[in-house]
Amino acid sequence: MDGVIGHVGVALGLAGALAAIVALVLGQVLGRRALGATAPTYVAVMVLGGLVAAGVMEHALVAHDFSLAFVAANNSRETPLLFSVTGMWSALQGSILLWTIILSGYLAVLALRLRRRLDDAVVAWALVVGLAVAVFFYALMLGPADPFAATPGVPPPDGAGPNPLLQDNTLIAFHPVFLYLGYVGFTVPFAFAVASLATGRVGEGWLAATRRFALVAWMFLTVGIVLGAWWSYQVLGWGGFWGWDPVENAAFLPWLTATAYLHSVMVQERRGLLRIWNLSLLVATFSLTILGTFLTRSGVVQSVHAFSDSGIGPALLGLFAAAVLGGVVLIGWRGDRLRAPGSIDAAASREGAFLVNNLLFAGFALVVLVGTVFPLFVQAIDGQQLTIGRPYFDAFGLPIGLALLFFMAIAPALPWRKAAPGVLRRRLVVPAWTAVATVAACVGAGLRGLAPLLAFGLAGFAGASALRQLALAAAAARRRGLSPLTGLVGRANGGMVVHLGVVVVAVGLAAASSFGQRAELTLRPGQSARVDGHELTLLAVRSFSDPSRSGSEALVRVDGGGVFRPAIDTFRGDTESVGTPSIDSGALDDVYLSPVEITPGRQVVTLDVVVQPLVVWLWIGGALVALGALLAALPGRRRRPTDPASLLFPELAEELPPAVGAVR
Amino acid sequence: MTGRRGPGRALVAASAAGVVVLALVAVLATRHAAPGTSVPSNLGGRPAPPAAGRDLLTGRRVSLAEYRGRFVLVDFFASWCAPCQAEAPALETLAFRDRRELAVFGVAVKDSAANARAFLERTGATWPAVADPGESIALAYGVADPPQSFLVAPDGVVVGQILGQVSVAAVDRLIAAARRAGA
Repeated sequence: MDGVIGHVGVALGLAGALAAIVALVLGQVLGRRALGATAPTYVAVMVLGGLVAAGVMEHALVAHDFSLAFVAANNSRETPLLFSVTGMWSALQGSILLWTIILSGYLAVLALRLRRRLDDAVVAWALVVGLAVAVFFYALMLGPADPFAATPGVPPPDGAGPNPLLQDNTLIAFHPVFLYLGYVGFTVPFAFAVASLATGRVGEGWLAATRRFALVAWMFLTVGIVLGAWWSYQVLGWGGFWGWDPVENAAFLPWLTATAYLHSVMVQERRGLLRIWNLSLLVATFSLTILGTFLTRSGVVQSVHAFSDSGIGPALLGLFAAAVLGGVVLIGWRGDRLRAPGSIDAAASREGAFLVNNLLFAGFALVVLVGTVFPLFVQAIDGQQLTIGRPYFDAFGLPIGLALLFFMAIAPALPWRKAAPGVLRRRLVVPAWTAVATVAACVGAGLRGLAPLLAFGLAGFAGASALRQLALAAAAARRRGLSPLTGLVGRANGGMVVHLGVVVVAVGLAAASSFGQRAELTLRPGQSARVDGHELTLLAVRSFSDPSRSGSEALVRVDGGGVFRPAIDTFRGDTESVGTPSIDSGALDDVYLSPVEITPGRQVVTLDVVVQPLVVWLWIGGALVALGALLAALPGRRRRPTDPASLLFPELAEELPPAVGAVR
Repeated sequence: MTGRRGPGRALVAASAAGVVVLALVAVLATRHAAPGTSVPSNLGGRPAPPAAGRDLLTGRRVSLAEYRGRFVLVDFFASWCAPCQAEAPALETLAFRDRRELAVFGVAVKDSAANARAFLERTGATWPAVADPGESIALAYGVADPPQSFLVAPDGVVVGQILGQVSVAAVDRLIAAARRAGA
């Protein structure tokens, strides 16, 4: 029964999306406004279909309906409720369903916001592009990625249960959802980019209208990436949080191009420049989300996340090719006529700094992309197997990261157009001294090593620069009689909060990767050992067993305080044992206890102990970045009338978010 | 990016990007899926690892070694696995077509003995099948995920492997190939 209703939901979603496309296209081609105006109704039908499908899937998972092959393979009677619910995105077909309903949701918000502008060609074609992507995903679920396929024969009495790695940590409930909210969100700006190019109306600020979509998608993607790193740190037991795995790169690539876009779109709004570049970044960002999904879902690259044996590879590759080639053709066709008049006047200006920032981000993306797909090229040419690992990515990532920190410090202090002599020196004197003081303090504290000292110094530089901007904004708010806290709201100021978060992440990253210590300890109950200044005492070794798993755990007291329990579990129905690390997290450092061997019978425990400083600041910094992005998405101060507004239709102001449309 | 250069710059850049992307797509489209669960076994031509245990249905001890002199299809299955249910009729046919030529020997993998037994009863399987509690048999055969089957020749050497659902035709092809090779 679930299978039938699920299929009906998917079919309804597909039909709604197709009907909306037909209404919009006919409305445009025939010039019939009324026809286009019916599209939101069909969009609602699509959303309804998606919700029915998702609801059915959740019902089947929670009710353990093993007549669905997906449920039988990813759920068991002992699976706790939370992991039954999150089971939807624990394997390929369900994650396509999640993708589809998120996309439907975004398109519904878009259609709702712009329902009175649907006769505008840009809006109509943008919605058509977004809906076409939705059609693709609904069709996938009726074809190669059917989440509601029936279990052949009689349903089994019990299912296999989710992958043991996916039923141990609540973060897994949220990481994929945030990641997909980010991935999928970029469909909307992409759709507007394509529509702007197709209609030739590039300069009208429709990109600005979708800026908030891009910002929200970027925030979700950031949170998704940070949660993924946090999950891998807490669960995988190697003490690391980023491994340049293809799927991590797949999430990181669109993040890089989207970050570049969020900066360069400001140049377009202020100066009308870089239009084609911005459109290219949006096409690249969307294409990279699809490419990343293809790489990790088709099985062409080895990855911890790869779902093997799925038939959706060719379809995703086709969508990727269509998106990039469509974008490339449109840009080649329209690009030269749509180029903005004017140019960047001086290198030492805000737009000049944004340009450098964009080149760095784009270069970083290229480096990561090459590192991810190069092995495939080598294999295609001479059949050699080759892997590109950490050293390659670190060799490029470190200098690019340091350069980004440097420009992050300078850019906010630069004025638009042209910096008068002395301006930069005046504005950066405090941040520069902060950098010097930071390095001096680090050296004084006994830290050595060029890379971490540079990172700390530049982080001090960038952090002080961002704080200076926030202090100025707070003072300006106070002068206008507002609460200084409003100095945090709005794009520029929210952006500075994001910068602070990035600085915190950079410090954590540099510290953890430069000053970590690792040791392998073998202990018997009562024995103690010291690792990097921490006293570890093994209290006991225990076996445990409950309906969903059995295993053994070690009770380890850290520094005479809390007791931590690294364990080796075997989940029911599975043979592989899964080590569950236990982490004593502190503001200064983390003591990471990863079980290597626990034998309750012999009362011996071997632990892999990793002590890394400042790890917790990675997550705090990530939260700060998300907070900053939220603040940036809130409407800020109104646009000054002297600024060249990119919005040519003041009547749109009512339809658009105030930060974009507030032309007075 | 700075200033008005000659016309056609976007066209040139877009064309270049297009060529690169086409090359990328061509390479990606011609890659075979990396071995995920479907690793070709290196057991081919080697003696089949031993498999023995109590038959899940009858409780008597059975061992793969007893079937020397016939082809044996060693079938790794689990009750929760959909293709394992789908392949049951094919196994039924194979098991009873000519008992002197071919026997079927099931090994439950990643499954509890109780579930596997219920599964066998439901699918009407009457060929010997054992549980593999320590997963030692699955490990010896390199089986990570069911269904997977191995064809063992009368001399006890592994001569074929089927990844995924078994079909009668596939097994016949493997037997024919083994015969040609002189097994």
